[in-house]
Amino acid sequence: MKPMTKENAIDIDKSVDINNEMTNPQVSSLQIPAEEVKIKAEDVRVRYGEKEALFGINLDIPQSKVTSFIGPSGCGKSTFLRCLNRMNDTIDGCSVTGNIHMDGVDILSKQVDTVLLRAKIGMVFQKPNPFPKSIYDNVAYGPRLHGLGNSKSDMDEIVETSLEKVGLLKEVKDRLLEPGTGLSGGQQQRLCIARAIAVDPEILLMDEPCSALDPIATAKIEELIDELRGSYTIVIVTHSMQQAARVSQQTAFFHLGNLVEYGETEQIFTSPQDERTKGYITGRFG
Amino acid sequence: MTELKESMQKAQARLKKRHAAETRFKAFGIGALVFAFLCVVMLFSSIISNGYTGFRQSYMKIDITFDESVIDPQGKRDFDTLNRADYGKIVKQSLYDFFPDVKKRGDKRTLSNLVSSNAAYTLRDMVVADPSLIGTSQSVWVMASDEVDMLIKNVFKREDDESTRPITNKEIAWVEKYESENRIETRFNTNFFTAGDSREPEQAGIRGALMGSALTMLITLALSFPCGVMAAIYLEEFAPKNKFTHIVEVNINNLAAVPSIVFGLLGLAIFLNIFGMPRSAPVAGGFVLALMTLPTIIIASRAALKSIPPSIMEAAIGVGASKMQAVFHHQLPLALPGILTGTIIGMAQALGETAPLLMIGMVAFIADVPGWINDPATVLPVQVYLWADSPERAFVEKTSAAIMVLLGFLITMNALAVLLRKKLERRW
Repeated sequence: MKPMTKENAIDIDKSVDINNEMTNPQVSSLQIPAEEVKIKAEDVRVRYGEKEALFGINLDIPQSKVTSFIGPSGCGKSTFLRCLNRMNDTIDGCSVTGNIHMDGVDILSKQVDTVLLRAKIGMVFQKPNPFPKSIYDNVAYGPRLHGLGNSKSDMDEIVETSLEKVGLLKEVKDRLLEPGTGLSGGQQQRLCIARAIAVDPEILLMDEPCSALDPIATAKIEELIDELRGSYTIVIVTHSMQQAARVSQQTAFFHLGNLVEYGETEQIFTSPQDERTKGYITGRFG
Repeated sequence: MTELKESMQKAQARLKKRHAAETRFKAFGIGALVFAFLCVVMLFSSIISNGYTGFRQSYMKIDITFDESVIDPQGKRDFDTLNRADYGKIVKQSLYDFFPDVKKRGDKRTLSNLVSSNAAYTLRDMVVADPSLIGTSQSVWVMASDEVDMLIKNVFKREDDESTRPITNKEIAWVEKYESENRIETRFNTNFFTAGDSREPEQAGIRGALMGSALTMLITLALSFPCGVMAAIYLEEFAPKNKFTHIVEVNINNLAAVPSIVFGLLGLAIFLNIFGMPRSAPVAGGFVLALMTLPTIIIASRAALKSIPPSIMEAAIGVGASKMQAVFHHQLPLALPGILTGTIIGMAQALGETAPLLMIGMVAFIADVPGWINDPATVLPVQVYLWADSPERAFVEKTSAAIMVLLGFLITMNALAVLLRKKLERRW
C-alpha cells in the first residue's frame, strides 16, 4: 500500500468534495481586525510518526470570544487544540510544524518555555480530572507552582475567587478540605475549570468539556462558558453542534485533517459555503 | 416452524452440556483450592508440631557450693580471677554430691553431662555480679543438657528400648531422681532469642541470625529501593521509547528470572574478589540481595506508575507543571502504595533467600551476634539450613522454631504490604 502522503490525502478530500473545490486555503468568511486576533495559526501541520494528522491549518482566533471546533471523530480538531498549548510535546513521535502566534509571539519556537505558556493557556479536558486531593489543593496547585499567592490569605483569596467564578463556591464552601474526587461529575468539571483559571490565564482551551456530563451539568458549564467569555479567550472542541451553536461566536469545521470552513457561528449553521460542512451539520455524515 | 423447534431442541441439549461443563469447572476450582489449603495446613502443622517445643527449655535445680578454694584460692576477688575460675568443676561436684554412689569414671563423666556446659557460665555470672556468694551454698537453676531436655519433652521416650534411644536407662534414673524432688522444670526459652549459634543445641539461639538478617535487609533496602524506584520512574516517564530502552526493559525482565545462585556467584566474583568486601558479612550479602531484588522493585514500580490514569498527568501538565513536578507531585504519591507493596514483597523474597548467600560465605558457623554490617554473620534461612544439617536430635525443634520465626516475619511483611495498599490506595 502506498504510504499516506499529503498529496493523496488531498485527493481523497477532493473526492468527497462534491463541487470539487480546492480545500486549501479553506473557505473563510471571517474578517477579524488584526488587533483583535489573539492566536494566529499559519500552515500548522502535525504528524504522529508516519501518520499525518493535520494538513496545514490557517486560522485566526479572536480575543475574548468563544471559538468552537466541530467535526467528525479523528478530524484533527483536538490535535489542533493541543497544539495551542503544546500539549502535543508530551506525546512521543509527535511533530508540529508551522507557526502559531499568540499576541505576536511564536509559541512553537524552542525558546518558549512550555511551563509559562501553559500558565497563560489553561486547559480543560474531556473527562473531569481533578487531582485526588482536597478541593482547596486542587485549585491552589497551579498558583503554588507559579509562586502566586505567597501568604495563606492570598492563596485563600485566589481559591475562593476561582471557585466563585465557576459558581462552585456556594456548593463546596464548607468542604474545601474534602477530596475533589468526591464531587459530582459536573462539579468536578467546574472544579477543573476553577483550577485552570486560578493561574489567571488569557486563554482557556476546552476539549469536549461536556461529553462526560448529563444535560443539566452541561447546561451549567455552557452558562459558565458564556460568563467567562468576557475575561478569557475560549476555544472549545465539541461533538455537539447544538452546543457549538449555543456557546460560540465563531465555528471552525474540521474534516480529515483539514480546516474546511471557518466563520461566524450563525453563518456556518445557517448558510454553510462548503458542501461537506452542509453535509455534516445536516447529519448526512459524521 | 418445525425447523425453529428443532434448533431450539439442539440449543436445549447444548445448554445442559454447558451447565454441566460450568459445574465441572467450579468443582475443579474448589478441588484445587482445597488441595492448596491442605498443603498449607500440612506444612504449618508439621513445622509447628516439630517446633513449638523449641520455645521451651528444661532447667534443673542443683545445689551448688561456691567453694573458695576452687574459685579464688588466693582471696583476691578481682574480676579476672572470678571470671576465669573453673566453675565447671563446681557444677560437676554438685552432681557428684547428689549421687554419692556413682564412683566409676565413665559414669561420672556421663553424670556431669546431665547439665549443659552453659551452667558454668550461669555460675560465673552470678559470682561476678555478687562475689559475696563465695563460700556459701545455693540452689541454682541451670540449663539441662539437650539429651535431658529431649527426655523431658518426651522426644526420647522412656518406654522405648534402651538401644534405640541416645539416653541410657542409668541416665534416666538420675534424671528421675531430680524429677522426684521437683528439681526439673521447663520454662520459656529466652536463651533462644538472646544467644547466637552454638554447637550445643540447648544453647543455640537465633539472635545472631536475626541481627544478620536485619543488617542484610538494611543494606538491601537502602540500595534497591531508591535505585529501583528511580529506574522505574525514568523508564516509565522520561526515557525515550527507542531500541536501547527496549533492550534495557527486556533485560530487566530477564534479570527477574535469573536463578538466585547466579547472583551469589556474581557477588563472589565482583563484590568479594574485585571490591574486596569482607567475606560472610551482611554488607556483601546485602549487595547481592539488592541485585536480586532490583528487578522486582522496578517491575512493580513501573506497573504502579502505569496504572495511574494519564488524565492526572495531563491535568498537572495543563496547569503548567514541569514533567518532573507532575511526576513527583502526582504520579509518585499515587503510585506509592503499589511501589511499597512491590518493595515489601521483594524484601520478603530476599529475607527468605539462601542460595546466593552460601556463595559469599554467610553459611559459616558464627557464634557471635554481629554488631555491624562488616561483622561475620549468617541469616535466618541459612541458620535453618545449618541446623537442619546438624546431627543432634534437639536441633530438629530448633530448626522448626527458627522456621516459625522466619515465617512470622514473612507473614508480617506480607500483611504489612496488604495493609499499606489498603490504607494508602486512593480511588478516583
